[in-house]
Amino acid sequence: MLRRPTGWPITLGIALPVEAATTLALPAVLAGAVDAALGRPAGPGALLLLALVLAAAAAADATAAAAGPACSAEATAALRGRLVRHLLALGPGGRLRGGPPPGDLAARLLGSAGDAGGRLPAVLGAATALLTSVGAIVGLGVLSPWLALAFFAGVVPGVVLIRLFLRQAGPVFARYQEVQGVLAARLGGALTGLRSIHAADAEQREAARVLAPLPELSAAGHALWAAQRRTAWQATLLIALVEVAVLTTAGALLADGALAPGALAAAAGWAALGAGLFEQVEALVGVAHARAGQARVDELLALAPAPCGAQTLPADGSGQVELRGVVVRDGDRVLLGPLDLTVPGGRTVAMVGRSGSGKSLLAALPGRLRDADEGTVLIDGVPVGALAPSELRHAVGYAFARPDLVGRTVRDALAGAGPAEAAAAHTDGLLRRLPQGWDTPLDELHLSGGELQRLGLSRLLARPTRVVVLDDATSGLDLATEYLVTQALDHATHGRTRLVVAHRAAVAARADLVAWLDDGRLRALAPHTALLAHPGYRATLSDTALRAAAG
Amino acid sequence: MRGSSPGRELLLRQLTLTRGPLLRMLAWSGVEALPPLVSGLFVSAAVDQGFLAGRPGAGVAWLGGFGAAMAVRAYATRAGFPHLAGVVEPLRDALVERVVRSALSRPSADPAAVARLTEQVESVRQLTATLLRTLRGVGVTLAAALIGLTLLAPAVLPLVLLPLAAAGLLFARLLRPMVARRRAVVLAEERLAAEAGRALHGLRDVQATGTGDEAAEALTEAARESAAASQALGRASALRALVVALGGRLPVLAVLAAAPWLLAHHALTPGELLGVATYLLQQLDPAVRTLAGTVGGWLLSLAVVLDRLATTTAATTADATAGPAHDSSTPGRETAAEVRLAEVRYGHGGGAVPVLEGLDAALRPGEHVAVVGPSGAGKSTLAALLAGVLVPTAGRVTVGGVRPEPARQVALVPQEAYVLPGSVRDNLLWLAPDTDDARLASAVALLGAEALVARLGGPAAVLGDPGELSAGERQLLALVRTYLSPAPVVVLDEATCHLDPAAEERVERAFAARPGTLVVVAHRISSALRADRVLLLDGGRGLLARHGDLQVLSPLYRELVGHWLGSAPRTGAGPAP
Repeated sequence: MLRRPTGWPITLGIALPVEAATTLALPAVLAGAVDAALGRPAGPGALLLLALVLAAAAAADATAAAAGPACSAEATAALRGRLVRHLLALGPGGRLRGGPPPGDLAARLLGSAGDAGGRLPAVLGAATALLTSVGAIVGLGVLSPWLALAFFAGVVPGVVLIRLFLRQAGPVFARYQEVQGVLAARLGGALTGLRSIHAADAEQREAARVLAPLPELSAAGHALWAAQRRTAWQATLLIALVEVAVLTTAGALLADGALAPGALAAAAGWAALGAGLFEQVEALVGVAHARAGQARVDELLALAPAPCGAQTLPADGSGQVELRGVVVRDGDRVLLGPLDLTVPGGRTVAMVGRSGSGKSLLAALPGRLRDADEGTVLIDGVPVGALAPSELRHAVGYAFARPDLVGRTVRDALAGAGPAEAAAAHTDGLLRRLPQGWDTPLDELHLSGGELQRLGLSRLLARPTRVVVLDDATSGLDLATEYLVTQALDHATHGRTRLVVAHRAAVAARADLVAWLDDGRLRALAPHTALLAHPGYRATLSDTALRAAAG
Repeated sequence: MRGSSPGRELLLRQLTLTRGPLLRMLAWSGVEALPPLVSGLFVSAAVDQGFLAGRPGAGVAWLGGFGAAMAVRAYATRAGFPHLAGVVEPLRDALVERVVRSALSRPSADPAAVARLTEQVESVRQLTATLLRTLRGVGVTLAAALIGLTLLAPAVLPLVLLPLAAAGLLFARLLRPMVARRRAVVLAEERLAAEAGRALHGLRDVQATGTGDEAAEALTEAARESAAASQALGRASALRALVVALGGRLPVLAVLAAAPWLLAHHALTPGELLGVATYLLQQLDPAVRTLAGTVGGWLLSLAVVLDRLATTTAATTADATAGPAHDSSTPGRETAAEVRLAEVRYGHGGGAVPVLEGLDAALRPGEHVAVVGPSGAGKSTLAALLAGVLVPTAGRVTVGGVRPEPARQVALVPQEAYVLPGSVRDNLLWLAPDTDDARLASAVALLGAEALVARLGGPAAVLGDPGELSAGERQLLALVRTYLSPAPVVVLDEATCHLDPAAEERVERAFAARPGTLVVVAHRISSALRADRVLLLDGGRGLLARHGDLQVLSPLYRELVGHWLGSAPRTGAGPAP
């Protein structure tokens, strides 16, 4: 997806200098018109020239007003597009392990990218202001070198002042945005537990917890104002000095007869324009914002996507999944492995174990939802890391305990599933009840855990992957529905390699093999019947407990 | 824009709170108006009485006066800043608080809340600051320039005021379409925020379904729609350039065109003409340009963003306080644990078929009840009604004889466990902050969370990113927390679905032994078997009986149990298919 080149930056690049030129010409043209009015010799048609310059100024002004927002909107959209493509293509550890949480990512996509998108207009605006003030000084110099000299007395400290502001405001503003990101992340986190918060009547308490960094934000905000304050008042003083110096010089020249009265107006105008540069604190703030925003976006763009290859799977592969010497860590702590496991193609392996034994982690490996820190994961003999991303996603499909629905409508969220898949996962009735059916916006959905899981299963069935991973994907269904969905699912994925995270003996019994995980290690790989004798194994399954309870 | 807009009310209410700094800032603005007021007067005096009158000393003195006025202005600028911060920072704080509180008191999570927090609040802060800094300056400049002009050369006033009035009218006409376009920009940004929030929270699913390209394409499209809205707004604001030309520039042209005539009739001196030119070009034109060009745009943005913030955060704030006043006398544990449902009806509103219709049930204090039923039978709705999170459309739900209040009488654990960033202890003592270490340790041991707590680094360890915990681990933490809660009634809404069966059984037995009433929304038949009685929900009604009796009474229950048992091997020796 290439960015369509448009003329807005060029239009803005033309309109702003024209605007600056008319602004610059105005004092001179005005001086001519004043002198003409006073009956002094001036160029012919001085008044007409003034009218022309004013018309050109209005046209340039209007063009710049349209081109500026257009430019930043275009740049922002392009930057956001780049950012989402990058974030969504990062690969394993889609959660950006150790990186910013989703709320912060969203804040950067919306806030920082917007700030950064305004960079060109901000820079062009500041550059034009610079150009205007340089032109004004040249104008002063043309009237009399003395005027330019008087002006320059004030310029050097002014430039120093601007550099100082940018250096001070940059880090202060970055700090401000950082605290903002923390707040956004806290709110995002609290929103995920909204039901618990309501049930605990803890809205006020949680609000206070989310708002805890607010004083810090306030402090950063005050620091920003302090930085602006220093620059602003010094700039005002500087402007005063420059203007008075230039006007006094011009007055002296007027008294000597070296300048016409109109030239005094021109000198006053140009002195103000030249000094106006230092008044452009807002423009500089804009540039500082754009810089800080760009830095926060660049931080995300610098995250390297997980390496992947370009290989394809053998066309006649049976979908064999093989784990060799796999270890997954969190820091120094081993979460899973070392572990070797081969799932023969077309077979079903149930992964059984207590909470935290590493079942979900193991299930995440074949589809590279997480990469192993050591060892290799192979599908039909090809390491998953060497596969082309499109090949991998056509090879492995997932359904989760708590699927996240992505997109604008239910249709988007089902990722290609049709009525047949919906019926297989028993979601057709649910979809019929929705106000706009498949086109219902996700914002308007209020689903129970079980309904959500059934949508996740429809989504899984949309692609005929050779490996199917069910990570606790029916845990939210009621007994009857689970039975029916499991039957349909068995039928729909028949003959494919299936990895099923299971809690129930029924599921384990239907599987060809059971991988019994304990504390991240593979305790045993054997048929359910062979393992049943072991009390530790029975304790991890629900219906064995049921039999004990039922007596 | 007109009438009582909620945004304006919100802003005015907040500004009233900070009126001290606001007034001080405005007072300093008055001081800042000095240079624009005297600029033309002093310059024309310097020319007429000084430089052109052969008295350069006097000219320099007049200009020195002008310089002094500017120095005073610089001081006023400096003095005004802390007051500006004193207005704007509390405004931002108040808005952030409002957004957070309303987001948390909403019935369901609103993904746009985060965008509101970062983007819209920040817009209000920056716009208000810029407006306060600029608008007062511009207003004061405009007034000062017009007063100065009147003092200096009243003859030129009609030439200035007529175009200025025309510009004002034109600007007023442009306001309405620009407000509409500005609103379109804000709405487009909100849509993008909601969609991006879903995609970024669901990165795992995006990868698992291989829909990264489609999701990126859809988000890029949403970003483009937002950009198109911004561009349309830009095109509309281009018309403001006309206002500037009319109000700021035309008077200069008119005065200069009439100048030969005015000079000839002695209505104007050369010095006064220069003074008038100074006022028009240096004060009036920049003021009009700022007012129409920038301030106009900022005011519009502020109005729209504030309205949006006020309306999206208003309704729910009211809701949070709308609940009936509760009886502050805490009922004793025995009676408090009695749960009654009488003719309860609940519908999601509109023409939707009610989820519950005429549900009657009475739970004895200390009883352990399992709730079962097919998907969509209203089990989670019932749980929310019991917890007082939802209010029945008709009928009564009482706990200990009064309407249930969240947290006090009933502790509800939903399926999606909430783990907050903070220490393990903060998480576990969330509902009972005064619990001592011994009780905490015994609860952790009782529910089988010792290994988890140890692995996390003990109670003092800080959970940086709760998303790193597995769903089962999160549930276990939420369960320990609820066990410690002082509420006499506990409702577990599939709160153990991610635990392994042994852990689930351990948890349920611990809760059953806990004093008080236990309601378990079951997703495994084993939960029903462990309960004293089973509440079967079907077709909006309920049937409460012992497991054995219910098998006799209800064919549906027999079917539910049959499905479960039928799909499981009855003996360990069953062959694998």
